[in-house]
Amino acid sequence: MASVELKGLTKRYGSAAVVDRISLHIEHGDLVCLLGPSGCGKTTTLRLIAGFVEPSEGEIYVGDRLISSPALTVPPERRNMSMIFQSYALWPHMTVAENIVYGLKLRKLARDVIAKKLDAILTTTQLAPLAQRYPGELSGGQQQRVALARALIVEPETLLLDEPLSNLDANLREEMRFEVRRLHDAYRYTTVYVTHDQSEAMTTADLICVMNGGKIEQAGSPEEIYNRPRSEFVARFIGSSNVLKGKGLDGGRVDFAGVALRCTGEAVVSGATTAVSVRPHDIALSAKPPQQTENVVPAIVVRQVFLGDSRDYMVEAKDGTQLRTLTAAEENIPQGSNVWLHLPPERCRALLG
Amino acid sequence: MTIAIPATQPPRKYGIDFTKPVLYGFAAVLCVLIVLPLSWLFLYSLTDSKGALTLANFYRLFTESSFYDPLVTTFIIATTSAIVCCAVAAPMGWLVARTDLPFSGVIRALVTASFVTPPFLGAIAWELLAAPNSGLLNKIFRGITGAEPDVHLFNIYTIQGIIFVISCYTFPYVFVLVANSLDRTPGELEDASSILGGGRWYTARRITIPLVLPALLAGALVAFLQAMTLFGSPAILALPAGFHTMTTKIWSLFQYPPKPELAAAASLPLLVLTVFLLRAEHMILGRRGYSVVGGKYGAPRLIPLHSWRWVAFIICLLVLMLPVFLPYMALFNAAFSPVATTFLTFKNATLHNIQFVLFDLSAASLALKNTVILGTATATIGTMIAVVIAYVTARRAVTGWRVLGFLATAPIAIPGIVLGVGLFLSYTRPPFVLYGTLWILLIAFVTIALPSAYQQLQAAFRTIHPELEDASRILGATRLRSLWEITAPLLRTGVIATWCFIFVGVMRELSAAIILFTSETKVISVLIYDLNESGDLGAISVIGIGMLLITFAVVTAVNRIPGFGNVRFRN
Ligand SMILES: Nc1ncnc2c1ncn2[C@@H]1O[C@H](COP(=O)(O)OP(=O)(O)OP(=O)(O)O)[C@@H](O)[C@H]1O
Ligand SMILES: [Mg+2]
Repeated sequence: MASVELKGLTKRYGSAAVVDRISLHIEHGDLVCLLGPSGCGKTTTLRLIAGFVEPSEGEIYVGDRLISSPALTVPPERRNMSMIFQSYALWPHMTVAENIVYGLKLRKLARDVIAKKLDAILTTTQLAPLAQRYPGELSGGQQQRVALARALIVEPETLLLDEPLSNLDANLREEMRFEVRRLHDAYRYTTVYVTHDQSEAMTTADLICVMNGGKIEQAGSPEEIYNRPRSEFVARFIGSSNVLKGKGLDGGRVDFAGVALRCTGEAVVSGATTAVSVRPHDIALSAKPPQQTENVVPAIVVRQVFLGDSRDYMVEAKDGTQLRTLTAAEENIPQGSNVWLHLPPERCRALLG
Repeated sequence: MTIAIPATQPPRKYGIDFTKPVLYGFAAVLCVLIVLPLSWLFLYSLTDSKGALTLANFYRLFTESSFYDPLVTTFIIATTSAIVCCAVAAPMGWLVARTDLPFSGVIRALVTASFVTPPFLGAIAWELLAAPNSGLLNKIFRGITGAEPDVHLFNIYTIQGIIFVISCYTFPYVFVLVANSLDRTPGELEDASSILGGGRWYTARRITIPLVLPALLAGALVAFLQAMTLFGSPAILALPAGFHTMTTKIWSLFQYPPKPELAAAASLPLLVLTVFLLRAEHMILGRRGYSVVGGKYGAPRLIPLHSWRWVAFIICLLVLMLPVFLPYMALFNAAFSPVATTFLTFKNATLHNIQFVLFDLSAASLALKNTVILGTATATIGTMIAVVIAYVTARRAVTGWRVLGFLATAPIAIPGIVLGVGLFLSYTRPPFVLYGTLWILLIAFVTIALPSAYQQLQAAFRTIHPELEDASRILGATRLRSLWEITAPLLRTGVIATWCFIFVGVMRELSAAIILFTSETKVISVLIYDLNESGDLGAISVIGIGMLLITFAVVTAVNRIPGFGNVRFRN
C-alpha cells in the first residue's frame, strides 16, 4: 500500500521555516488538497514529497518505507511517483508521443508494450491526432492533457500536482477539474494536489489541508473545513465568514456587543478575547425585534445591494463591527434602519485564539 | 491500467555527493585565475627592484611627468570620447527606436558592424585614410585643391585623431544601451502622458528622455572605460605622434630594460577606476537595466519625422561612413593595390598581398596556427567552465553558488593590459614558469572570455525552466541522464554560440597578448600590430578583411538565436 505519511516535516531556508512541522497521514487512494495563499509553502511541501528538496527535520514514509529524512533522501527518480508541474514542463524538443513515452523508455519496457500503452493513454486523453506535434504547437488545454498523460502512463503509486489548472481559462479549468477527479477515481493512486483556489479544492479533494505560514491550520473533509472552521484564518479563507471578536464568558458564551452569544466549536476560555465565525447566509435579519432573545444582536443597516435572487446587507453592531448577511430579495430595509440579527448558536463557531 | 507494485528497495544514500568537490574545485581554479595575478600586481607595485617594501613606485607615478602626462592624456581622451559617443549615439538610438526613420534595420546593422570591428584594425584603416602625407583623404584633398604635397587636411596622429578613432568604435556601446532602453520602454507610458494632454515633444521631454537618462549615463561610463583601457588604437596612433597613454606607457615599461614594479604600479589606477566605474554603472542601471519588462505592452508609437525622415537617414549614413564604409574601403583598397595608399584601379589591381600573406609571410602561418590552437582551446575550456558555473548558479545547485557567480564575472573589472601585467608577474617565476609558452596566453584568454561566456550561458539556462529537468527526474531519470537528455539538447545552440564568440574574441584580443607574447607565441592580433610597425599595411588589410569576414559570419549566425542579441566584446 502506498499510503503517504509526513512526520514533523520542516524545511528551513536560512533561519526562516518555509515548511513548519507538518504532520499528515494520507491513505492509499486518497486525493488530498494542499490549499493556501501564495507563499505559504505548498510547492515546497510537494517538492519535499517528490524528493527535490531535502527536509531540515522530520520524515516522509511511503507505506512503511522511509524515503526522506535529514540524513538520507531517496532521489526523485527512485520514488515511483509522478508529478504534474505548474508550468507543465513539456520538453519542447520532443513530440507529444516522445514526451509521453519518456518514462516508459526509462523503465526499459518492450517496444510493443510501450506502443500499446501509448495508444491507450492517447485515446483516454483524446490526444491521438496530436501525437506527432511539438508542445509549442498545442493549446493550453492540450498541453495540460499531455502533461497528465505523461504522468499517468508510468502508473505511479503517488501523483503530485502543483497548481495544474492555474494556466487555463475558467471554462477549461472547470472541465479539467472533473477530469483530474475522474482519472483519480479510475486508477486510485494516492494524489497530492496543490492549489490556492478553494472551489478547486472543494470539488476535487477527499481531504483538504489548509496551509498558512508553513503550517497546516486545519485538515479535514471539504464539508468539515467549510462548516466547522477551527481558526480565524480558515474561516476567512474558505468561503467568506464574518469574524466577531468578543470576550469569553463561562458556559461557552462570548460577550459580543453586549450580547452573550452562545457558541459551538472550540472551547471558550473565560476572560480571553475570542473570535467567533458565522457565515452570512446563516444570519437571520429582521426589521422588528424577534420573539426569542438568545443570540440576538441589534444593528444598523450600513448599505444593502440587490443581487437579483437575494439581497446583500452590510450591518453594523453597537461596537462598530461590520457583518455581512444575505436575505430574501423582497426584504427591503432602507439604509440607516435598526435591525435585529439572529445568530443561530449551532452556526456560531468559536475559533482558536 | 494497474497499480504498480511498490518498488521496495531499502533506502540508502545514492553515490557520493559530488557537488561539494565541484564547487571547491571551480572556486579554486577561479581564484588562481583572478587572485594570483592581482596579488602579484599589488605586491610588485609596493616593492622596489630588489624586493624591499616601498611606496616609491607610486610616488614616481604621480610626480614624474613621464608618468602623469599619460595619466592626464588618458583622462582627456576617455572623457572626450565618452562625450562624443553620447552626443552621436543618443540621437541615433532615439531615431532608430522611436521615430519612423526609414531602413532603421540597416542603421542597426551598420552600428553592429562598427561594434564588432576590432578597434586596432579601425585605427590602422584610419591611418590609411588620414595619415598626413600618404592618407587617401589627404590625397583626394590635394587632388581637388591642387595644394602643395606637404599640405594636409587631416592628421590622425594627434590627440583629436585618437579621440575620433576611439569614438568610432566605442559609440556602439552607448547606442545599444540607449536603443535597448527605448525599445523596452512601453509605449503606454508615453500614451499615458499624451492622454493627459502632453504633446509629442512635451512627452518626449518629460517622459521619454528621463526614462533613458540612466541608460545614457551608464553608456557614458562604459565608453569612458573602453577608451581608458584600450591599447591598440593609442599604440598605433599616439606612439608615432610621440606621446603616451596609460596603456601604452605600461606596455613601454616592458620594453628593454623591463621595469615590472613600475608597470604594476601604473596598472593599479586603471584597475581601481574600472572597478569603480563598473560599480557606478551597476548602480545607475540597477536591476532595471537588464530586466525585460514583462506584461503585454503595445509597440511604442513612432514619432513621424515627415520631410525630415530622409534627411535624418542620410545624416545617420554619413556618420556611419566614418566607422564603417570609409575604413572598410581603405582596407579593401590596400589589400588589392600594389602600394597600400595608392588608389585601386582595374589596371593596378593585384593579388600580391594575398599571396604574400598566404605563402611568403612565415610569421603569418605561425601566428595563424597559434591563434587557431588558442582560439579552440580557450573556447572549449572557457565554455566548459562557464557551462558548469552557469548551471550551478542558475539552478542554485550548491550552497555558495553566489561566490562562483561573482568569481566568474570578476575578470570583467580587470582591463586586458592589467591582466597581462599580472599574469606576466605571476608566471615568469617558479613554481609556474609559463612565460614564453602558449599556456600563459591560454590562461589570459580564458580569464578574459569567462565573464561574457558565463553571462550568455546563464541567460540560456534561464530560458530552460528547471521543472523540465524535474519532470524527467520524477519519471525515473537520474540527474546526469536528465542533463544529457533534456538540458543538453535545449542548450546546444547557446553553447555553440558561446564557443564561437569566445573564438572570435580571442582573435581580436590584443592588450593582454601584447604583454605576454614571445616570438614563438605570436598570435594574429600581435602580428597585425607588428606588421603595422614595419609598415606592411597591405598584408594587414588582407588579414583584417579575413578577420572581419569570420566575425560577421559568427555574429550573423548567432544573432538569430534568441537572447543573444546583446553581446559585449571586450577590447
Ligand atoms: N530555494 C529557496 N530559497 C529560499 N526561500 C525559498 C526557496 N524556495 C521557496 N522559498 C520561500 O518559501 C516560501 C514558500 O514557497 P512555496 O513556493 O512553497 O510557496 P507556495 O505556497 O507554493 O506559493 P505559490 O502559491 O505562490 O506557488 C516563499 O516565501 C518562498 O520565498
Ligand atoms: Mg507554488
